[in-house]
Amino acid sequence: MLRWFENPSWRIAVGFLPEVDETLSAESLTTLKRNFGLAPRIYRALMIRPDLVDAQVRFLDQLLFTKGALTRVQKEFILLAVSAENNNSYFPALHCQTLQFLGVKPEQSQQVAIDHREANLSEPDVALLDFARKLASTPHSFTDLDVDSLRKADFNDEQILEAVLMVGLTQFLNCIQMGLGTEPDFKPRITFSVKEVNPPIVSERQIVEPELPGEFVSDDPDFEIVARVRKGETDAFEELVRKHGRRVYRSLLGIVGSPQDAEDALQDAFFKAFQHLPHFEGRSKFSTWLVRIAINTGLQRVRSRKEFDRIDEDDEEFRPRNIQAWTETPEDFYSREELRRLVETEVMKLPVKYRVALILRDLEEVSTEEAAAALGLSIPGLKARVLRGRLMLRESMVPYFSKAVAGKS
Amino acid sequence: MISCRDFITELGNLLDEDVASEIREQLEAHLAHCNTCQVLYDSTRKTLRIVTESGSFEYPEPIAEPLVSKVMDRIRSGCEVED
Repeated sequence: MLRWFENPSWRIAVGFLPEVDETLSAESLTTLKRNFGLAPRIYRALMIRPDLVDAQVRFLDQLLFTKGALTRVQKEFILLAVSAENNNSYFPALHCQTLQFLGVKPEQSQQVAIDHREANLSEPDVALLDFARKLASTPHSFTDLDVDSLRKADFNDEQILEAVLMVGLTQFLNCIQMGLGTEPDFKPRITFSVKEVNPPIVSERQIVEPELPGEFVSDDPDFEIVARVRKGETDAFEELVRKHGRRVYRSLLGIVGSPQDAEDALQDAFFKAFQHLPHFEGRSKFSTWLVRIAINTGLQRVRSRKEFDRIDEDDEEFRPRNIQAWTETPEDFYSREELRRLVETEVMKLPVKYRVALILRDLEEVSTEEAAAALGLSIPGLKARVLRGRLMLRESMVPYFSKAVAGKS
Repeated sequence: MISCRDFITELGNLLDEDVASEIREQLEAHLAHCNTCQVLYDSTRKTLRIVTESGSFEYPEPIAEPLVSKVMDRIRSGCEVED
C-alpha cells in the first residue's frame, strides 16, 4: 500500500542520512503536490536543511514548472534524457509519470530516455536533446558550435539559456539523489535499468496491465474464481459477470450515455475479458483489470461516434465561476427521482475524460490508486481530472441549489 | 499564507480527507478569511454528497439476469475469437 501517499510522514528513512523531525513549508509542499501529486523523497531526503529545500523548490518552480521560453514538455524531456544519460533511474521513473500527466504517452517518454532520435520528435527537439546529452556527458568538449547548432534549429538565446540551465538542474538533482541514496517513491510502471538505458538493440515496451502494490493483489477476492475459469471452468465466469456487472454497467453508461449502448458494450467487455483471461497475470486486482477493459470498450464506442474529446490534450487551468452560497440541505428541494435525473443529465454533459474519472471515484467510489490504474493515468493526473469534473459539475448545479434559487421555489 | 489558486489545487485532497495536518491548518486558515473559497468548498462538498447519494447510472435490475445470460451464451458459443 502506498503509505507515504496516504499518510505523508516526514519521519521515514529516505536515504543514507538519518531521518529528521522537520517540516517543509506549506508553499513548497503545495508546489510539489501540484506538480507531482506528492512530495517526492528526493526533497524529503534533504530535510536536515529545510531552508535549502525551499530554495530548490522555488528554483524548480521558476525554471521547470512555470512556462518559460521552452515548453514544459521540452524541459521535462531534457530532464529525462540527461538523467538517462547518467544511468539514473529515479528521475526517469518520476518524470515519466509527470510527462504522462502532461499528455505524453509512457512509450514516448521511455523512448526519449532510451534514444530520443527514435522517439518521433520534431527535428528541433532532436537537436535540443542532442545538445543536452552532449553537455551532460562530455562538457569538456562543448564549444560555441554546439550553441550554433541550436540557433540553426531556430532556438533563441533565452531558450538556449533555459536548455543549459535545465541540463545543470538535472545534473544537480541526479547528483543529490545518487549521493543521498534516495529510493524511488513508488514501484515505477517503467524502470530504466542500466542496460536498458544504453541497449544493444531497442527493447520492446511491455506494459498492458496496471501494476498495483502487492497488498492489493494477494487480497484479490476474485483470485479463486479467476483461477477456476483459467483452468477451463467456463461456467465459473458467470459468477464474475454477476458480481461485477453492476460496476461495469455503471462505468459504461457514464461513458456511452445510452442504456442500450451500455448493455452492448457490457457484453463486449465481458467477452473480451474472458478471451484475454489467459493473459491476466494477477499483477492488479481482477476488478481493476476488468474495469480497464470496460472503459476501453466504452471509449472505443464513443470515439467511433466522433464525439470524443482527445483524452491526452493539455488541461488548461479551470477557474470556477458562479460563486453563490448554497442552502444548507439543497437536496431537500427536490425529489430523489428529480435529483437522480439532474445528476445523470449534468454528468453526461461533462467531457468524457472528466466524466469517467468522476464516475469511478464518486459514484463507484473506487480508490484513487485503482481508478488511476484502470484509466492508465498517474495519480496526480487522475486527481486533476476528478477535481476538474467535480468543479464543472458543481458549476452546472448552481442554478438549482444556490440560496437565491432555493428561496424562490 | 496560501493563495486561492493553492487552495483550489488542494481542494480535491481536502474533499477526500487526504491532507496532512500541517496543510489542513493552512487550508482552514485560508477558508477563515476567504469567502469565495468557503462558498466553493461548501458547494463542491454538497455537490459530491448529492452525486454519491443520487443512485445515478444504476444497473437496471429487471434486465440484469437476461444480460448475464446473454454474456454467458456468447462466451459458451464464442469460439469465434476476435481481437
